[in-house]
This record gives sequence, C-alpha cells and structure tokens, in this order.
Amino acid sequence: MAQAGKGKLNYRCPSCFMRDLDIDMFYDTKKEEYYCIRCQYHGSEEDVLSKNEMARFRYKAMRKRFTSFDFD
Amino acid sequence: MSDFIVNIIHRPELAPEYAEKVTGSGKKENIKRTDLRDESLDIFRFQQETAHKNGLKTTIQMTYASLFSDEAVAIAKEDHARWGDEIGLSLLGLPCPQFREKYHTREFCIWMFSMEEKKAIVDDVFGLFHERFGFWPESTSSYYLDADLIHYIKTVCPSVKCAVATCWEEGPKAYHTCNNSWYTFMDGGPWAPWIPSRQNTHAPASGPEEDSGIVAIPHLSRDLIACYDGNGSNFGTHPQNVLRGMIYDTATWEFPYYYNLVDQYRSLEKYNDGYAYNMMFVGPGWLNRMGRWEAPYELLKKSYEEGLGYYGELKKRGELTDLTMSEFADYYRSKKSYHEPECAPWRDILYGSDKQLFWYCDANMRACINMDQGGALVDLRNYAAKLRIPVGVGTGNPVDASYPFLIQEKYRAGYFTHYAGAGTIRSAVFSHQGYEANLCQCRTHAHFIEEELEEKDLLCNAKGWKKKKERCLILDPVELELGDLKFKVLTRIFFPEGESLIKMARKVYDFSRKDAKVSLKEYMTACYGTTEYAQDMTGITLGLDSPESRSGARSQELLEYQYRDRSRRMEGAKRAWAVIPQIQTNVSMEISRPDACGFIEEGYAFSPMFTLGFTADLSEGEEAVTWLRLAKEN
Repeated sequence: MAQAGKGKLNYRCPSCFMRDLDIDMFYDTKKEEYYCIRCQYHGSEEDVLSKNEMARFRYKAMRKRFTSFDFD
Repeated sequence: MSDFIVNIIHRPELAPEYAEKVTGSGKKENIKRTDLRDESLDIFRFQQETAHKNGLKTTIQMTYASLFSDEAVAIAKEDHARWGDEIGLSLLGLPCPQFREKYHTREFCIWMFSMEEKKAIVDDVFGLFHERFGFWPESTSSYYLDADLIHYIKTVCPSVKCAVATCWEEGPKAYHTCNNSWYTFMDGGPWAPWIPSRQNTHAPASGPEEDSGIVAIPHLSRDLIACYDGNGSNFGTHPQNVLRGMIYDTATWEFPYYYNLVDQYRSLEKYNDGYAYNMMFVGPGWLNRMGRWEAPYELLKKSYEEGLGYYGELKKRGELTDLTMSEFADYYRSKKSYHEPECAPWRDILYGSDKQLFWYCDANMRACINMDQGGALVDLRNYAAKLRIPVGVGTGNPVDASYPFLIQEKYRAGYFTHYAGAGTIRSAVFSHQGYEANLCQCRTHAHFIEEELEEKDLLCNAKGWKKKKERCLILDPVELELGDLKFKVLTRIFFPEGESLIKMARKVYDFSRKDAKVSLKEYMTACYGTTEYAQDMTGITLGLDSPESRSGARSQELLEYQYRDRSRRMEGAKRAWAVIPQIQTNVSMEISRPDACGFIEEGYAFSPMFTLGFTADLSEGEEAVTWLRLAKEN
C-alpha cells in the first residue's frame, strides 16, 4: 500500500476527541478504514460517525433552548 | 436601558494558519499558491457580505499579507465607504512570501518574537498600512499582545485605542487539545473587555497611571463553564467553534447551543450596569471549501450565515448595537470606571447539570466561585501584584504569557485528591463529635445583589465619576448532617469594589439540638503556577500574627517553606498569611471572631501546597466573617 492520506473530510479520532484531543485521522485505502496515529482507534466511516454521536453523550442540553440563565 | 454591544471582526488572511495545512493535504506546503490566496479572498468577501446582508458593520483587520493585495485593499476601502466598516490592522496573518523573505522565519505569533523583532515588524506592518491607506489604524489584534508590545504599538501609532489582546483560558487545555503542539499559553486573563495595565496585559489597570492606552477585547466570547474545563476552541461565539465541539444535531444541522451562548452573554447586562458584550473574530481558514473537521462546507456556511443572522435579528429588534472596535473603545471608556469589576454568574447551558459559577474580575483580582461546591473559591489570580511577565524569544520566557494562579481547581486539584495530599481551594469545613463535612460537598445556587457605596471611582475616559458598589452573592442555604446534629449554613460572599478582598460570611442556624456547637474551619489551600506541574515552593513564608497589644507589640509565628509538613497554631490570631515571592504576592486571611484560632500548614513534596485559615466554634444563629486579602509583595 502507498502512504496513507486524509479521507474526504478531516475526521478526527472519536476516541481522542472524548479526551479533549483533536487529532485528524488518516485513511488506509487497503483496509478501507480510518485510523489514529496516536491511539489505537480504527474504524470505517460509518463507525467513526456512530462514535461521534456517542461523543455527544455529555452534551445533555445540546438540543435545549434556554430562556433563563439565573436561578432567581 | 441596557446595551448589548457586538464587534464583528474579519481578517483577510491570504495563507490562513489552518487552511494552509488542511487544504494542502498531500501537497507540499506552499504559501505562494494562488488557489489558496484566491479562496481566502473569496471567503473574506463572503464573510463581509454576510455581515452586511444582516445589517451589521464590521471591523476589517487587515493582515500583513493582505496589504500586498490590491484586491483586498480595494474591498476594505469600498466596504469602509459603503458600510462604515472600520479598517484596522491585525498582527495575525503575518505569513506570506514577503514576510518570509524579509524575516526568514515561519514564526507567526507576534508576541513570541524577540523585542527587537517585534519592533521591526510593528514598524514595517504599521508603516505599510499607512502607505496603503493614507491614515493610521485605530485598532489592532492578535491572539495575545504582551504589555511591552502594546506600549511599543502606542509609541509608533498613538491612534490605536482598541485591540484583541488575549484568548480566554487558552493555556494548557488548548495545548493538550492540539496534541501538545500549540506552544503558546495565555490563561488567567479577563473574559470580557478591559483596560490592560502597563505592567501586564492580563491585569486590568487600576487608574490612569497604569492605563496602557487601549481597550482590550478577548478573542471570542467564551463559555465560562465549558472553556474552563475543556477545549476553548469548542465553546465560543464563532459558529465554527461549535462545529469543532460537535455541538450540533447531525440530522438537522441545528445548533441551539450557539444561541444560548449569545443569550447568556446578553443576560450579563443585569450584573454590569446595563452593559453586555460579544465579539466574533474570524479568519477565513474555517470556511474553506473542503470542509473543516467533520463538517462539510455547506454546514460551515450555514453556521456562519445563521450565527450572523441571529445578531442581525437582535439588531432589528433593537436589542443589539453593532460597533466597530474603535467605536467600542470610546463606548467602554465612557461607560466603565477603573475599579468597576466585570461580573458573570454563569450557568451550564450545555451539559444539563444546572451547575453555576460566578466569575469576578477587576484591577486587583480574577476569581471564580463554584456554587456546585458550596461557594468554594476555585480560581484566584492576584492582579494587585501587577506582575511584569515579559514574553518572547530572548526574555527567558518564550511561550508562557499566562497570569499565575494561587488557586486553580483543575490544574492543582480542588477538593478531591487521590489517596493523599491537598488541592487548591478556598472553602470551609464543619465538624461535630467526630463527623465532618466540607461545603464543597454541597450543591447550591447563588443570587446576585449589589449596593452603592459612598466612594466614587474615575471613569476610564477621565471625564467623570461613578459611584463604587459592593457586589454580593447570596447562596441558597445548605443543610449539613453531622452525626445526630442537623443544621443549615447560609453563605454570603462580598466583593467590595477596589478593596482587593473577598469577604465570606457563614451563618449557622436551624440546629436540631439548640444547645449544640459546631466547629468551623475556614481555610485556603494554595500554591502558585500557570500549568498543571508543581513549582518550587522554597522561599515561601507562612505566618501568623497576634493582635497588637496596648504597647503596639505583637507576636508572630513563622514557617519558611521546606516541604517538612509542619504546622503552627495561634489562639486569638489576628491574621494568617503567606508571602509568595515568586509571584510577588501577599495573601492573608482575617476572621471576625477574636476567640478563633489561626493556623498555617506547610506541605510536602507529594503535596506542594500551603494552607492557612482559622477555626472557631459556632452556636445556633452565630456567624463568622472572614476577609481574604491580596496585595503586592515587593
């Protein structure tokens, strides 16, 4: 296989994202998967996207529109 | 009548720091690429058009690279004439063929050059601006501008009165997020506009003699909870920050968090004399056609259009005033007085926790109170010390522009530590018959009140006076259960303007046994530093002072820090204090009760902290008041 490059978008490693680390992944054309050069995460585009959804678990109010910001 | 002021700032970078790496995937780095330059100019045009479509004027921060582009100069002149946009001069966006040929470096951060180079670049960039436009700029910008650099800019170009001068809490957290490759640190500054002192950009001026001559604004308006704990670049008033944080619905591409962020900033007018502020400072790199992060170009574009669309809608409703940077500087100086603080009760708007912080910033300190930990003081910077911290090559400090902390609950633990040791925090512990509880274990909320004082403070334009105030947080009472005793604690926290102190009052009441007494320990555990890693504590002195006798004599207990885990106590102590020469700081605590016992505690190598405080016994309905004072120690 020739050297790896970027995929069609700059997918970041979802595992590293969850520890507040932004690191672009590379794409392995032979295995048809993205992989992280820092940690051991690797997965298809579909897997990356599903893990990105998982990464949002902490944003429990992400879809809420607040109208009050105090506790008075 | 309240004012919500917004600065929209665009900078025509022609080789954006992000796009250069990202769009060039698989291609050798080449900042002369014409496609990169053309795309950057197109993005700049799109940004300008989007602002104008929404009825908003902008400040165009010309970059060095763009000053060589006739097209960029023409767009700026045209938009200035047609829309009233201000043309300022940025010190970001230095990279371009002309810069590299002249200075022979890939460095792009003006604050990290040597002073000699800073001067040469300022002369060059400002001179070129004047040559292209025929006037001097009134505003400038960077991610950080150190005090010496601001002073030099004012010398070369006295017309500059406003500058983007820091990125809030972009220190170790930003560094870690960027895979330990973002070698610049600027924690510990204000989150909202301020007047930098001549000594240190992060520390606001306390009067005309310290006034650097500019009004500083932070790079973006950040989420004051999310950015303190996480990556600053995910949670700010730049729509693509929100995309970087993945804070949008992937099915609908909706991002209500962004509007919540803007609205929470709007709500801060209640605590700042009817004034609230937002800024958006955007380069073109985020809007490149190849997309950014997981977001395709269409989403980037949508987020930008809708972000500015919301500002436009607010303006149409008469709820927003768009000013250019220099207009804002005039507004700010006529509105604010030198000792007037910036106050920000801040609610979690992302994680659904109902957590609440209170941020306070004035010329003497920056402080954060955490209501989720019973009103503990979890971050503290001694601006009264006005530390001179030269930064840049040749200063011995090339990268760290952060203002040091005494308390930082994330970098040096807080209430919770593993197995042993102590973390930095200012809190209180109650104990009774072998049981104890720290107020950090109590989740509560606070309410803000303020009261005018008799004393007056000079307006920042020196054309008038404004009455000083005392701000106060009243916390919802918390209940403690210590063995068979239940009781309530009411905490009130006061910030008297210009006094360089935090007063905390604790009242205990509603005892389940009226004859019971509880023991109160008011304490501060602190150290110093700018990162997670411990500094040498040698040289710190801890002390206890007795009250003065009639003859004026007083006794003293002293501990010179030697990591020996020693402690001292003094019945009836007047003051417990620490002198930290490394940050020219004197911090002390006093208590209202003459029967209290003062204490000081040295740490040890595994726990390189010190603690000072008081213990006192309280009965039903009694109160103890403490004063934490910050001063400069020469």
